[in-house]
Amino acid sequence: MAALIAARGLTKTYRLGQVDVPALRGVDTTVDAGEFVAIVGPSGSGKSTLMHILGCLDTATAGSYHLDGEDVSRFAGKRLAQVRNRKVGFVFQTFNLMPRLNVEENVALPLKYRGGVPRSERRERARALLERLGLSHRIGHRPDELSGGERQRVAIARALVGSPAILMADEPTGNLDSHAGAEVLATIEELHRDGHTIVMVTHDADVAARAQRTIHIADGRVVA
Amino acid sequence: MAERFPRLAAGWELVEDALREVRAHPLRSVLTLSGIVFGAASLVSMTSLARAMKEMAYRDLESIGFPRSYVVWDRGPRSDAQRAVDLRHPGLRLADLEALRHMPGVSSVHGRNPGTEMVVSAPAGQRLARVEGVDAGYLEVRQFPIAAGRSLRALDVMRVSRVAVVGTLLQSDLFGAADPVGRTITIDGVRFLVVGTVAPPSFEIAPIDFDFAARRIYVPYTYLTRYRDGQGRLSGVLVTADTATEFGRVLQAGTMLVRQRHGGAEDFEIENEAADVQEDLAMADGILAGWNVVMYAIAGVTLVVGGIGLFSVLLISVRERVREIGIRKALGADDGAIRRLFLAESLTLAFLGAVVGIGGGAGLILITEFISRQFGRSFAIAIHPPGVALAIVFAVIVGLVFGWYPARRAAKLDPIEAIAGV
Repeated sequence: MAALIAARGLTKTYRLGQVDVPALRGVDTTVDAGEFVAIVGPSGSGKSTLMHILGCLDTATAGSYHLDGEDVSRFAGKRLAQVRNRKVGFVFQTFNLMPRLNVEENVALPLKYRGGVPRSERRERARALLERLGLSHRIGHRPDELSGGERQRVAIARALVGSPAILMADEPTGNLDSHAGAEVLATIEELHRDGHTIVMVTHDADVAARAQRTIHIADGRVVA
Repeated sequence: MAERFPRLAAGWELVEDALREVRAHPLRSVLTLSGIVFGAASLVSMTSLARAMKEMAYRDLESIGFPRSYVVWDRGPRSDAQRAVDLRHPGLRLADLEALRHMPGVSSVHGRNPGTEMVVSAPAGQRLARVEGVDAGYLEVRQFPIAAGRSLRALDVMRVSRVAVVGTLLQSDLFGAADPVGRTITIDGVRFLVVGTVAPPSFEIAPIDFDFAARRIYVPYTYLTRYRDGQGRLSGVLVTADTATEFGRVLQAGTMLVRQRHGGAEDFEIENEAADVQEDLAMADGILAGWNVVMYAIAGVTLVVGGIGLFSVLLISVRERVREIGIRKALGADDGAIRRLFLAESLTLAFLGAVVGIGGGAGLILITEFISRQFGRSFAIAIHPPGVALAIVFAVIVGLVFGWYPARRAAKLDPIEAIAGV
């Protein structure tokens, strides 16, 4: 079976004035469907850049990247936005919920950018996911009325609402106390057990240990 | 419905998002809108006012029948007439009047004699006054209101009665404080019974002076005609058409009829009152057009100033929502979706401004009507629909033009930098 993520020789160079600053220096990696992978490394190692490229928020300077059988390294603009919308679900360290939207509207938001999904169906799917994550009682609340753990679980629901091929979590427990962090990690593990593919970036070894496999990044290369 | 019209539903959702933003910053939104509100309000109130004034002026002229009437005056042969046909002078006769009366489209015909200044003696004094010979119903057609007593009647005209209706502005000169009705006056030495007094017509707005109407003495035209020109002859016939639209046809048909009845002789002259009115109205239109240009310029400048306000507030909004834009992009929004988000906000604000401004314009009109009532004139100013349409169209254009750059700027943000909040 083909790997869900197949990256070959990913290179990313930022240009700062006259100087080229390499962030990735040829990363090869694969993630199979159903895997739970942690990307770890110190800050400045390039792990965030790697996640941005794998999440199609950014494109590599060189190298090839196949996501779910599509060569997305050649995509840009509208097509890349549609790949983000359909294939990738993002969970951020700072939750990044829309403060003026309630929980249900936040979760349903990605479906708005899919086009052609009527509002009633978007609402239906958001409600189903919130129920599954045990957040039904929070549907009408605004994000600032929720605890940190709840906010992150709402963010996870939002990431999943479009049935993406892959869930990308960037330091999902970084802004949470240990109790809430454990709760969120339990949710992620449960999703993994249900068959979701998860790529998680972290610098916390304990958090990384929960994953099936760890990709270590240092100085823009995979070191282990 | 949303399922059947997906584009409409998506558009409405954008408006909802925009309204959410508007509600989140009520004061800022109101300040942003003020320029567009004032522009739209002035556009609506001024166009409505201009239109109402024009209509009132026209109604004034219409009320005295001018746009629908002409006079056929007996003139006699032209001074350079040489041919036999040109030298004939059958003159205007009652039979001509009757023939004109029976033309289709004619509302009324009235015999007239312009009269001359005559010496009028009355209890309180003697003076020179214009004595005009008119038909029964003439004062009514001209809307010269009877102030006391009665008007001239058909019987007075038929019997060539020596009765007179005196203009109210002559009243004190001729009668002092006494009631003129029932008194006797002499006109050129002939005794007349005063049966009534007539006041000048009042107009809603038209700046026309009709006071002369109340400085005359009206007597049956048959008296003056017999007195001056001999039996059965008329000096003039006032022809009034049913409607202003039929006037042209009635004028042409009447001219041809009289010429035919006079065996081709051009011994009469047409005084086209309607054309005079049209000339006056055209002049008024010219003045209004100039006024409109100034007004549109002011409204346009105000709207553009409003647009600049909108522009700066939208730029602030984009800056404030950089992170939100990044998140939306991460969730799959493409540049177009972000652009639509901000254009919808711009258009919604501009449209709201136009709607509030139209309401404000209606308020200004109500205030104008109220003030006019305080001065004893009841203006009824209708809202001019083209002004409303123009205000909305203008506001939408302002919203598009001034929303375009901020929207583009938002759409061009890099998602990673935007999420990081750079």
